[in-house]
Amino acid sequence: MTYPSFASGDVLTAADMNAVGLWLVKTQTVGTAVSSVNVTGAFSSSYYNYRIIYTGGTSSVDNDLKLTLGASATGYYAGFAYVAYGTGTVTGLANNNATSWANIGSQRTTGNSLDVDLFGPNAAFRTGMTARYFGISTGAVGGGMGGFHNVATAYTDFTITCTSGNITGGTIYVYGYK
Amino acid sequence: MSKPFIQIDDEVREMTDEEYAELLATGWTPDTSVEPNEP
Repeated sequence: MTYPSFASGDVLTAADMNAVGLWLVKTQTVGTAVSSVNVTGAFSSSYYNYRIIYTGGTSSVDNDLKLTLGASATGYYAGFAYVAYGTGTVTGLANNNATSWANIGSQRTTGNSLDVDLFGPNAAFRTGMTARYFGISTGAVGGGMGGFHNVATAYTDFTITCTSGNITGGTIYVYGYK
Repeated sequence: MSKPFIQIDDEVREMTDEEYAELLATGWTPDTSVEPNEP
């Protein structure tokens, strides 16, 4: 059969299933008024690259979400260019051997958002990262980020942490790329 | 004053003193709004 167009009643062979490129690894509903969310069992040797998406929910303040791998609190590098919706002003930020990937997502009273790709987080190599930032409110900003984690360690979990305040609700989706 | 809540998978609980100290070390504050370039 011609992937990905299947007909009702088709038998899915191993070749068909192994050709599926993106698998949902885990979903995690965010609780009430939490300042950090640790998602365990997210990364394994089954996939090399991952996408993490978090949308929905609300925040007690308008600020940014941080992301860390395992218990590592060092070696985070990133370049972040963003544009203010209201003014068009372009600004750059850097994470230079930071304690997290700061500013990687948005926590807003009107909605939270995070969209991250990680390259090799479960491999004993340095993890690459790209992210799309999209604040969900008229006074927010949009932008793009790329960087890496300068620690050659394999991780199985990650943590999303508020820069201030707390978040409530929404769902974190973790996908593995074949 | 109670400490913030931490979530580990489906478990939500108040942070321990150690976890709260680690959070404060990141510069976290309870109620500051400072998203970059907010007009």
